Amino acid sequence: MALARPGRTPDRSESRAAMDDEYDVIVLGTGMKDTLLSGLMSVAGKKVLHMDRNSYYGGESASLNLNQMFEKYGNGEKPPAELGSSRDYNIDLIPKFMMASGKLVRMLLYSKTTHYLEFKQIDGSFVYNKGKVHKVPVTETEALASGLMGLWEKRRFRNFLIYVQEYDAANASTHKGRDLSRLSSADLIKDFGLQQETVDFIGHAIALNHNDEYLTKPAAELVKRCQLYSLSLAQYGKSPYIYPLYGLGELPQAFSRLSAVHGGVYMLNKKVDKIEYDESGRVCGVTSEGETAKCKMVIGDPSYFLADGKVKQVGQVIRMVCIMSHPVPNTNNSDSCQIIIPQSQVGRQNDIYITCLGASNSVAPAGKYIVIVSSTVETAEPVKELSPALKLLGKPDKIFALLNNVYVPANDFAKDGCFITSSFDASSHFESSVNDVLAVYEQIMSTLPPEERKLIDLDHLPAQE
Amino acid sequence: MAPKKVLLKVIILGDSGVGKTSLMNRYVNQKFSNQYKATIGADFLTKEIQVDERLVTMQIWDTAGQERFQSLGVAFYRGADSCVLVFDVNVAKTFENLDSWREEFLLQAGPRDPEAFPFVVLGNKVDLDARIVSQKRALSWCQSKNNIPFFETSAKDNINIEQAFEVIARNALAQERVEDIYLPDTVDLSDQKDKQSAQNCAAC
Ligand SMILES: Nc1nc2c(ncn2[C@@H]2O[C@H](COP(=O)(O)OP(=O)(O)O)[C@@H](O)[C@H]2O)c(=O)[nH]1
Ligand SMILES: [Mg+2]
Repeated sequence: MALARPGRTPDRSESRAAMDDEYDVIVLGTGMKDTLLSGLMSVAGKKVLHMDRNSYYGGESASLNLNQMFEKYGNGEKPPAELGSSRDYNIDLIPKFMMASGKLVRMLLYSKTTHYLEFKQIDGSFVYNKGKVHKVPVTETEALASGLMGLWEKRRFRNFLIYVQEYDAANASTHKGRDLSRLSSADLIKDFGLQQETVDFIGHAIALNHNDEYLTKPAAELVKRCQLYSLSLAQYGKSPYIYPLYGLGELPQAFSRLSAVHGGVYMLNKKVDKIEYDESGRVCGVTSEGETAKCKMVIGDPSYFLADGKVKQVGQVIRMVCIMSHPVPNTNNSDSCQIIIPQSQVGRQNDIYITCLGASNSVAPAGKYIVIVSSTVETAEPVKELSPALKLLGKPDKIFALLNNVYVPANDFAKDGCFITSSFDASSHFESSVNDVLAVYEQIMSTLPPEERKLIDLDHLPAQE
Repeated sequence: MAPKKVLLKVIILGDSGVGKTSLMNRYVNQKFSNQYKATIGADFLTKEIQVDERLVTMQIWDTAGQERFQSLGVAFYRGADSCVLVFDVNVAKTFENLDSWREEFLLQAGPRDPEAFPFVVLGNKVDLDARIVSQKRALSWCQSKNNIPFFETSAKDNINIEQAFEVIARNALAQERVEDIYLPDTVDLSDQKDKQSAQNCAAC
């Protein structure tokens, strides 16, 4: 990607013809969320033009090779020879894993984009507790042997898990007299007499909450998240996570292809100069290099709407990308894994995540590992905030620090026809990202005449053919 | 012994409008339409053929129209076993661009032995009477690139297409890499266990 394209000069007249057209939708940015929306719109028969200012797919959620990484974040440095060939690297700018039974997998199956992708399971999942890295147990034997909790606590924990496992919202006999739509997560956990550390383990290592806000919210969501974890774990066995070969940047490319196959027109390396609005403030086109393509609506990531004041910043995420010549210590030499550092363990409000990937995921040359440490920023010294995690890694060959602003839409889509996706949050998986896509999709549908509306029910997918 | 089954990924490259989608449709679906709009993409098509003792599944990938504004992503090129370069014999520019298509392929796909990678060149639309690129000119370019096989084709009149794709399959098979790299064991997403069948709860 972002390779300088060889000599072929784009045909100006053809590009003029494509710009001189009218589209149902113009999509700005080829991040994972925006390409998925583009694909859904094209499949629904909408005429789509998709532009990206970069010469590669993925926007904020791209996977970059080594040269691109140094170009963007290397402060003028050149990649040293000992790191190996640039093209063997696919470094995710947003580190996330996919829950094996999560919404993204459902979305891939629904859109039939699984043909374009290959996945591997992540080898292990770990949690940091009292200064040590523990494997999150996946079998009963592992659970009994684990040093994470004492014997009596294990029994209480087991009772909790059995309750969660059997709980079925539609079947009152499994509720055991509890109304989880009212009972808070904290109160449910209290019912089982669990110790604080077990609570952290459940909330952060299993339910994968990245802060403690869930405790005061209804327990139904906590139970759902625990069920997602165990169902995902049951798919392939080693961890609840899967990950695409060649990195997450494959996802937006697959969704873009879906859109293109259904007629979506693609323009990378296309400068977006201005979004055009009519007198009433409704979007009516997008101008690039002096040409304006007309449209009825625009979908895009926040970076394209900053200038128009249609997004607001709600925080920052710090991500440290480390290239290493060894796997993360104390992870049984896992080729790929995740370590969760629950906030309470290091006196924070937000968890720190460590993801490790390597050659077996086709994201690094043999013997090299890409380790990404990330969290929501809490202080004025974000890099320092990650030091408890960096201490666990041993010495990396190279570190890049990426500080990303998190934006959310602040416009009225019903009035201006702009459908804006949010920046990626600090969570460790894609559940919230797909929720965002589905929410934006529903916003779009709500503005269409009823006969054009097509709803997506991911929980009740039609049987596969 | 049953013949070994092989899957080949074949990608078709070339300027927009030269007939890539039409060639693929003619070969796999025995169909041709004048109405294909160059703007509408196609996905991939598969065809099983017998090459000597072997059953070969050719998975032929269309650019889906993303070539039109130089917007093919690296994922499209990954793992290609063969690359078909197409030009329109009636449009000089489409022939002149073959060089950069070939370069782009080598750059993006990064085959381990670029010199020996199996390309095939197709000069399409020979049914039309407006020929500009001579056979001689095309052949000499192909020779200069390590003797790439060259075919003059027409998707419209079904000329030379079976022959071309057989050579594509043969040459790709001959190149079949002895996989010394670590082949990852990937998972099948379409085989999802549901809640009932997944009752072996983790830490229970
Ligand atoms: N006369 C003639 N027209 C062709 C031939 N192959 C394709 N076409 C036409 O050329 C146009 C572009 O073809 P298409 O397959 O969409 O080209 P692509 O952009 O390379 O995929 C269409 O109108 C086709 O009908 C051919 O062999 N002869
Ligand atoms: Mg085509």
